[in-house]
Amino acid sequence: MHQPSLSSTLDSAVEAKLVSTASRSGRRSREAWEPYLYLLPAFIVFTIFVAVPVAGTVILSLTAWNGISWDTAEFIALENYTTAFRDDAFWSSLGNNLKLLPYFVILPAVLGLIPAVIVHQAKIRGAKIFQAGLFLPYIMPGVLIGVVWKWLLNPVFGPVNDLLERLGLPTRTWLGDFTWALPTVGLIGAWAAYGFCFVVFIAGLQKISTELYEAARLDGANGWQEFRAVSLPGLKREIAVVLSINLIGALRAFDVIRATTEGGPGFETRVLALYMIDVAFNANRAGYGSALAVLLAIVTLILSGIVLKLFGANDD
Amino acid sequence: MIKKLPIYALLLLGCVVAIVPFLVTILASLKTRTELVQGVLSLPEVAQWENYTTAWTQGNFDRFFVNSILVAVGVVVPSVLLSAMSGYAFARFRFRGSKFLFGYMLIGLVIPLQAMVIPLFYLLRELHLLDSLWALILPQIGMSMSFGTLMMRQAYLSIPREIMEASICDGASSWETLWKIMFPLSRPIVGTLGLLFFIWTWNEFLLPLVVNIDPQYHTLPVGILYFQQRWTSDIPVIAAGSTIIFTPLIVMFLIFQQQLVKAITAGAVKG
Repeated sequence: MHQPSLSSTLDSAVEAKLVSTASRSGRRSREAWEPYLYLLPAFIVFTIFVAVPVAGTVILSLTAWNGISWDTAEFIALENYTTAFRDDAFWSSLGNNLKLLPYFVILPAVLGLIPAVIVHQAKIRGAKIFQAGLFLPYIMPGVLIGVVWKWLLNPVFGPVNDLLERLGLPTRTWLGDFTWALPTVGLIGAWAAYGFCFVVFIAGLQKISTELYEAARLDGANGWQEFRAVSLPGLKREIAVVLSINLIGALRAFDVIRATTEGGPGFETRVLALYMIDVAFNANRAGYGSALAVLLAIVTLILSGIVLKLFGANDD
Repeated sequence: MIKKLPIYALLLLGCVVAIVPFLVTILASLKTRTELVQGVLSLPEVAQWENYTTAWTQGNFDRFFVNSILVAVGVVVPSVLLSAMSGYAFARFRFRGSKFLFGYMLIGLVIPLQAMVIPLFYLLRELHLLDSLWALILPQIGMSMSFGTLMMRQAYLSIPREIMEASICDGASSWETLWKIMFPLSRPIVGTLGLLFFIWTWNEFLLPLVVNIDPQYHTLPVGILYFQQRWTSDIPVIAAGSTIIFTPLIVMFLIFQQQLVKAITAGAVKG
């Protein structure tokens, strides 16, 4: 992806060679079909189960349809979108998505970055031993994470409140509390990702030339200046990677929320995906649900675009 | 050394915070309900293995587990093979429309499942595939194609082209060159790809939640959700169910750790 020029020269070199081989053995016409045959099986499954549903979402979003029989579908152009813009539930769900972003995207990046820089600048050896443990939550299913934390945070018999009580600290109902439910879900998300961020940043720091650090030290830079002048610019690509992955990971909020609060208490933790599923399958408004899906996709794409714009990896 | 001690402590703390929820879950799965309230870190007097039997039989985890394995194998093996072929098409050949088709195959990288699950449901209904393992297997093969094609194409392009040319000059067909030379030489990436496909499939939640209502076709993530709702306060049994889900992941992770960490970082491009 990052070396289009290299791969295309490689392509044309291989092609030139292949074409000459092919024409020499007189198999040119057969060869012309071959790539399509190799592609065909993947193309078919992909088209049926990805491309058609993607197009279907856009098409359905222009209709009013109860999801039951096809002949009840009615073309209503952009009406679903205007409905969405006037729908408080849409805005509040979208708002919850946005409120969760700092927890799912930025917090784990910061929690990973700071220790990574400290560990690297102190020249700590053997950080790798901790890698396995740190990485573990990241590969777990979101539902499982939700199930486990729902127990840990249970207000009556959960270990978290138990611990707080023993320490003489105030306890809370966490996921059942109107003020705390959303931050709690967010913290669960941050917990699941910080170790992953740390591992990516440590790997990135190790790639930065030690000469740069020595030069900074000769110039009399302190730890903070070293961080600003050497580590941070050197990690630009890793920061982009981590923020992009976390952004995609933020979609996992759906799994965590479905297993913990189911959008509650009230609608405090209802995110767009939860509302969309509810609209499409419980309220039988397939058209409106699809419009919400399109809006969700657009928001995700815009945010990814912003991350790439800010930390664009095109300068390496 | 003394100066470094607090930093080691910080690392240890980060690591402990990450794994403690799993450790206490395993502990809880071996306790009685009374022992559980006595303290989360206390050891059980006698390991209560019947929590697992309860989860396995009464909680239907036996079925969910088998379903999860069947779906994982049914998705991973074909996905790897189809990607091996489609990636080959783009790495070896220049053909009319190749640029367009490559871009088309990569759409899946930027569109999340949440944005296409509604029509997918109705499509599967038309195909009479709802409430079956096919409803989980076929769409997930489709969703694997973007990342798979991209990774396999890159794998082939990183092989010195003399190797492929030598094989062609020896009179091998492109098909033989693929399966006897290119595919085996790409083994590390093939392994990584299979591993990632496995984790994504094992963890998939939204798709089975939407397309399979019949509990007979649930996989573990959906299984544990309904299970938790039914056994609300029987934490040891829920903990046993959770342990059944994450143990295979932990084992795989410990075996393939280095490879996985690299792969997931590369997974940045997956949407």
